[in-house]
Amino acid sequence: MNIREELARRVLIFDGGMGTMLQAAGLPAGYEPELWNLERPDAVRAVHAQYLTAGADIVTTNTFGANAVKLAGHPVEEIVTAAVTLAREAVAEHGKGFVALDLGPTGRLLRPMGDLPFEEAVAAYAPAVRAGAAAGADLVLIETMSDLYEAKAAVLAAKENCGLPIFVSVVLDQTGRMLTGGDLSSAVALLEGLGVDAIGLNCGLGPQQMATLFPELLRLTSLPVLIQPNAGLPECVDGCTHFRVGPEEFAAAMAELVRSGLRVTGGCCGTTPEHIRALSAACRDLPALPVAPKHRTWVSSYARTVVFGGKPVLIGERINPTGKPRLKEALRSGDMDYVLRLAIEQQEKGAQVLDVNVGLPEVDEPALLPRTVEELQAVTDLPLQIDTNHPEAMAAAMRCYNGRPLVNSVSGKAESMAAVFPLLKRYGGTAIALTLDENGIPATAGERVAIAQKIIDTAASYGIPKEGLIFDPLALTISADQSAAAVTLETVDRITRELGCRTSLGVSNVSFGLPRREAVNSAFFLLALEHGLSAAILNPNSAPMTDALRAYCALKGLDPNCQDYIAAMAGETAPAPAVPAAGMDLGTAVERGLKESAVAAAKAGLDGGNAPMELIDDGLIPALDRVGAAFETGKLYLPQLLMSAEAAKAVFELLRGAMTREGERPAAKAKVVLSTVKGDVHDIGKNIVKVLLENYGYQVVDLGKDVSPQAVTEAVVREHAAFCGLSALMTTTVGAMEETIALLRQEAPWCKVMVGGAVLTEDYARRMGADFYGKDAMSDVRYADGVTEAG
Amino acid sequence: MAEIDWKEARRYLGLHRPGGTVDEQLEESLRSCGAELDATARPRAVWRRFSVTVEDGTVTCAGMVIPSAYLARHLKNCGEVYLFAATLGAETDRLLRRSAVTQVSRAVILQACAASLLEAYCDECCDGLAREVAPEGLFLRPRFSPGYGDFPIDFQRPLLEALEASKRIGLTATEAMMLTPTKSVTAVVGLSSTPWCPPTGCAACGKTDCAFRKG
Repeated sequence: MNIREELARRVLIFDGGMGTMLQAAGLPAGYEPELWNLERPDAVRAVHAQYLTAGADIVTTNTFGANAVKLAGHPVEEIVTAAVTLAREAVAEHGKGFVALDLGPTGRLLRPMGDLPFEEAVAAYAPAVRAGAAAGADLVLIETMSDLYEAKAAVLAAKENCGLPIFVSVVLDQTGRMLTGGDLSSAVALLEGLGVDAIGLNCGLGPQQMATLFPELLRLTSLPVLIQPNAGLPECVDGCTHFRVGPEEFAAAMAELVRSGLRVTGGCCGTTPEHIRALSAACRDLPALPVAPKHRTWVSSYARTVVFGGKPVLIGERINPTGKPRLKEALRSGDMDYVLRLAIEQQEKGAQVLDVNVGLPEVDEPALLPRTVEELQAVTDLPLQIDTNHPEAMAAAMRCYNGRPLVNSVSGKAESMAAVFPLLKRYGGTAIALTLDENGIPATAGERVAIAQKIIDTAASYGIPKEGLIFDPLALTISADQSAAAVTLETVDRITRELGCRTSLGVSNVSFGLPRREAVNSAFFLLALEHGLSAAILNPNSAPMTDALRAYCALKGLDPNCQDYIAAMAGETAPAPAVPAAGMDLGTAVERGLKESAVAAAKAGLDGGNAPMELIDDGLIPALDRVGAAFETGKLYLPQLLMSAEAAKAVFELLRGAMTREGERPAAKAKVVLSTVKGDVHDIGKNIVKVLLENYGYQVVDLGKDVSPQAVTEAVVREHAAFCGLSALMTTTVGAMEETIALLRQEAPWCKVMVGGAVLTEDYARRMGADFYGKDAMSDVRYADGVTEAG
Repeated sequence: MAEIDWKEARRYLGLHRPGGTVDEQLEESLRSCGAELDATARPRAVWRRFSVTVEDGTVTCAGMVIPSAYLARHLKNCGEVYLFAATLGAETDRLLRRSAVTQVSRAVILQACAASLLEAYCDECCDGLAREVAPEGLFLRPRFSPGYGDFPIDFQRPLLEALEASKRIGLTATEAMMLTPTKSVTAVVGLSSTPWCPPTGCAACGKTDCAFRKG
């Protein structure tokens, strides 16, 4: 009988701690336990044998750290093969039992929060999976995961390199959160999407603390639950870690959980064969309670889940270049910060999911979409809707997405389903399904529902349940066809009631060609909500739409005590923190760092007939000069300098829009490539320099942090940048700075190199061959201006 | 619960220097950044006690053999050490990144607040440890971190591993031995039977033209 069949019919028991057992057998502190698979095979085999004799059904191989990152420099495959062989030998000796290939964390943090690229994490696990499967493991156990993203990397490595069942357990603290910010629901949403076989908790907590988290886990998941606690919380006595919960207490606590639905148990740190013996005695004959499917339609990020079917979900539509020249420009020029600001702004306005579409003819979408997804996930915890027609871009973005994505979209066309469904199966996710097919959009609700049914059936043939689909019944304009809205509403209603599925709409198409479109849109939106609409994709800045949604929720009892409604409206009526002072002139507002006042003054200036260039030359530039001088003489502090810079930047944005309309543009100054050097993850200094250089008219190409000498040089050559600014914080990364400068001298001899950072000195900078050492951000501006003027 | 040491945070921002005026707008930014950080940061720490041998500019503890004259001097007459690590967590890094994109003036203030909060939190932890060892007649030395003086930064990794810092508090090092999350500290804290204060902080640092150097 294989492990999946066993899992389906009875409670399974894992073994207990490995590390402490090996230490008792003489493993020195700080020595890699995995090396003992080769050096002390008898000791490792003996631990497995003890656990099997104690009653464990499954023994875990001694391969917790056996991945290519953590055991770099060691023969990982050989170690894993030996480890699985030892466990197999113990099982053969005992006469029964299963072998779990153990995969623990890499010990490095993945990008964007750390420096380990996602694909490197996948690649770190892959050889261990291949070797483990070849040596005869029965399942893969991915455990002690405190980062969901790393768990995803390990699961993908397992799925792509073997066909074995996959169990995953994560570490939570007592508040139910992971160290990287995830919670139980985001863990369940992601891991179920990836198609693992059992999920649960291990390490970190004792049986008592895990018992308090268990009911929530059971409520959330449709999979068998696995719980492997430590023998209590660690206590440090005389420099040694002790765990206090004894075998009987441990077993009793776990048996209680089995009675409420726990299906797989075992022990982690501090548990011994005695714990497993007691556990086995207490749980072995308890009935395995059935696992209840939850039929939830949901999406997630690394830290947040959004469920469809309760309160209507607002999907922010603004990261989509269609009809947005400023976003197009940002995407073409690689101005990622602009895209990130659109995301943060929509989140502040109440969006719960963000649509992400970067499709432009001239961009490399399969490269740009995943990069945008990664950058967005460094600044927002909202789940993302991956929006593209490009299958390769969709696959790349779904693969690197940290969570369970919403995917936009699949349709009833055979080609579309054949492209999207395998991706959903592989990476998890929920898809927006358009009720159209090869014959276009049907005119009647009945035909659209029939397409929806066809999509459900086809998805099922890929093993994707209908709750993995959200139908978009398509809103068409009523100016062309008076029955269009009625057909859409009927389709929403029938998909909800007859098919039991969730729906989403791009509401605003309905009013195309009509005046005062928002009046029609918000009325249609309310009608659709009343017909059962579960989500809408719209502009969160559109007050009529968001007001309609909030009012609807309050009226339908979906907003307890109307608190969201009241909070949102209070924000509207309360005075803004910085009220634009009436009549303050542009220069004064910029000098004092008052963004709203500065923008108001600039608008007043434009309304009063001033040309944008006039406002820049007579208002902005003199103010910036005064601010810069005040900073250099110590009269202004750095935060104040930056507040002025931000006010000026907001005014520039406004005036730039006005100038596009009038067809005039100021002559841009030189291009500057900025980055922190390879290995350096601290970028505050670089960000300060960027804002100021932009203020002074330089075109900044920001490469971000941890950038290789090659990438910096390529960018400088590609942009033919006049300047390159490099930042390094630590003595260890100064070497990378030196290397970058050397490569720049070779490949881009025209480029002036400015350097800065905490450990640098003027003298050191000169010795490295830099052209300029910037002691602060203003000095970089002055230097660049000086070089530019000297021509 | 540790709090931001505003005197330090203001010093990091250069506000202690005469000449300028901290106006109401800046005060308001300081307040709101402080509140945002307090709501975001999840400080965590982990420590373990090890015996230590100090001889000839070499320090041996927890399986590490550390060639560092500074550290050896710092740990003179210590029979034991605490290895110590603390972090404000990944959420703080995300907050810093978000503010760098939307409003770099806030990012700068948040950086200063976070650095000060981290120091205050480490101090609080170490004060607790000092109280714990006082009955044994032992005193704590100030924290000494990899990368400081001639203490090779490569010891970041074995130090983190000896503490299981990745598993316990989510603290890791990059390939270049930078700590991630970035607002984090690792350190060796000496335990000795005599209260002795070796030169530390700015006095022990070689960067003499640092803008923040004290004294």
